[in-house]
Parts: sequence; C-alpha cells; structure tokens
Amino acid sequence: MLKFLQERVNKATKDFDSLPAEQRSGAAAAATTQGLSQKQARVRDLMRRLAVKMGKENDAEEGR
Amino acid sequence: MKVHLVRFTLLAMLALPAMAQVEDAVPRPPVPGIAVINPFQPFDRAKFESMAAKLGASKEQLAAFAAKVDELGLSRAADDLLRAAVPKYDAAVKLHEDGDPRAALELMQLLAATADPLLQAHVRYHLARLFLDDDDPENAIQVLNDYLSQNLNLSPLDAEAAFFYAQALAEVPMLEHALPRYQAFLAWFPDASERFRSAAMQRITEIERQQQSRLHQLADGMKRTTRDLRKQKTDKPVQVDQEGYVEELQELIEMFEEMEKQAGGAASGLGKSNSPATSPSLPGGESSVGQLNKRPSLADRWGDMKDKDREKIKVAVQNGLPPQYRKQLENYYKKLGGAAEK
Repeated sequence: MLKFLQERVNKATKDFDSLPAEQRSGAAAAATTQGLSQKQARVRDLMRRLAVKMGKENDAEEGR
Repeated sequence: MKVHLVRFTLLAMLALPAMAQVEDAVPRPPVPGIAVINPFQPFDRAKFESMAAKLGASKEQLAAFAAKVDELGLSRAADDLLRAAVPKYDAAVKLHEDGDPRAALELMQLLAATADPLLQAHVRYHLARLFLDDDDPENAIQVLNDYLSQNLNLSPLDAEAAFFYAQALAEVPMLEHALPRYQAFLAWFPDASERFRSAAMQRITEIERQQQSRLHQLADGMKRTTRDLRKQKTDKPVQVDQEGYVEELQELIEMFEEMEKQAGGAASGLGKSNSPATSPSLPGGESSVGQLNKRPSLADRWGDMKDKDREKIKVAVQNGLPPQYRKQLENYYKKLGGAAEK
C-alpha cells in the first residue's frame, strides 16, 4: 500500500511540474503543492508508524 | 517459534546500513565540522553585564537581573535584561511570543542594524527558535551557524543555542550531524537545564535507533520531501528523491516476499488484511501525529492578515536588508504563504 501511495504522490508531483510555468505560480499552484506536501506527509507518517511498530516488535523479540 | 525466527530475521535485515543517499532536492545548509575541543567557555557574568550596560542597561535593570537569576535561571534573566535595555528587541520578541508573522522581519531588521555581538546573539537565538517553531530547520541552522561563529561566549544562551542547533539538524533531518552535537551538548553543558538535557538524551536514543532502520531512513527522506513540496519545489531532484522511495519500498517488499517463501508462510502482520480498504485513496484532512488541538500556527495568522499588511511585510523584506538576510526571509514568508493558502 505504501508503495502504491508513494507512486501516486510521485505522479501528481510530476504532473504538476510539467505544467506551463504560468500555471505553476499563484495561489492555486500554492494550494496544489500544499496538497502534495500533505499527501507526502501522510505516506511519511504511515512509514514512521510502521518503523516504530517493527522496532517495538524487534525489542520484544530481543527481550525474550 | 518459526514465525518469531522469521520476524527476527526480517528485522535484522531491516537494520542494514543506510540506504544509498540520493541527491538532495534542496541543498542542505552548510554545517561546519564539530570541534573536538570544547569551544564554549564558562559564562563570564562581569563581561556580560558590562556589555549589557553598553547596550543601555541601567543600574536598576542590572540589579533586577541579579535578583532574577536565582528565580528564573541565568538564560531567562539575561534575556529579560536585554529586553529591558533594548525596547526594539523586546518588541520583536513579543511579536514572536504572540505568534505574529511580523516577528521574523522585525528580528532580522534588528540584526541587520546592530553591530553589537551580544544583541546579535540574543536576536539570532530568537530567530532560530522562531524558524524551528515554524518547521523551518534549514533557516534555523543558518542563523545558528552565524551565532556559533560570531557570537559565542558572550551570553548564557550558549547552551540553549547548542541544543537547538542539534535539534534543527535532527529536524532536517541530518542525523549524522545531529547525533554528535547532542552528545557534545551533554558533555559540554553538564549544568544546563534538566529539561534540555533529558530531551537531548532521549533524542540520542531515538537517532541511534533510527540510524539502524531502513524504514526510519525512508521516513526521514520523505520528511525532507514533504518540506520541499511545501516550499513549492517539484523539480527533478525532488522527483528523483520520490522515485528513490518507490525503489526502496520495492526492495523491501521483495525482501519480505523472499523471507516469506523461505519461512513457508507470511510473517506476522504481513499477511492479507481481513478488512481491506474499499478505496485506494488516502483519508482526507491534515496529517497529524500526537497533539490534535494545535494553537493557530504562524501560517494561520499570516493567512488571517489583511492583504495590505502582508504586502507591507513583503515590501519591507525587499528594502533595507542585506542580501543574505533578505533571501532567508523571502523563503520563510513564501513558505508561510504556501501553508496559509492550503
């Protein structure tokens, strides 16, 4: 799922970057990149939660 | 037992050395090498008081400083003294405390206008805190680079400056630079506030753990990209970073699959979900971990300002500031604008 989500953010980033320069500035463009940033942040949060969960499991294994 | 063995092997493989560094989308701020010899000297109170007096501190204000040291600690008392002695500085710090977007401009203008190294130290300290509060660690590093190279050993804020320097590096994240600086902070400031010392110890433990985990490193990279996108950077280097995450995730998936095959079944937590998502899209709303009821951010305040007030700040940034300060503030307000328009 994480890979799929990251691919979606990547595609959206590329699509935005390929727009003509005049469409990549102004309030609407700022809102778009802000949205992209939030999507990337969600993937990051999921990745971090997975990392923490795996770390805890690892600690539990080592403690046995 | 078998499942435990598989999970242990899986986790051991996740603890491989750092993933290959991809080219940074945004050039990281320069970080001077850490000094092997402690560059910090014990606080010279007489020198500080003499410099404060040159800045305009009265005898009464100096006496108030002496009275406050025991109650508030040296750092706070010293900062209060400077605020009392330099009203413009006090006004700028107040703006920061109130979460006013004009704070960065006022502090930067003060910095540009003064040649006094003690006042510079305190202004830079507050600027760094301001940038950190607003998730702009790169700017905080630049400001603290100047603090550490030009304003050292003048103010009791040195210990906090050293702590926040390490914190800014960890926030970027530049963990390989942050770790030795947290360690140096603990070694060089044994009398620093327990709040900072315990925070430093906790971060050291977290960083050491993160440095051994590919998943944490991936999340660190994504954190940088999140910030890049917020700064409206979507060009090739950012895209290369993003492609690197997909490749890394693919490698991890293949590794899990291989281990699953070898173990003869799915490792715990890696099997199919009993309740798969009905839609592949992410849930809506702002991403948030931990505290959900945040106070209005600077970006919110910036968005709430009148157009003419925002314009006034933008014009002031363009006029009368040295180029290096101007660039820092341009980036800062550009990011605030992007965040406010979401």
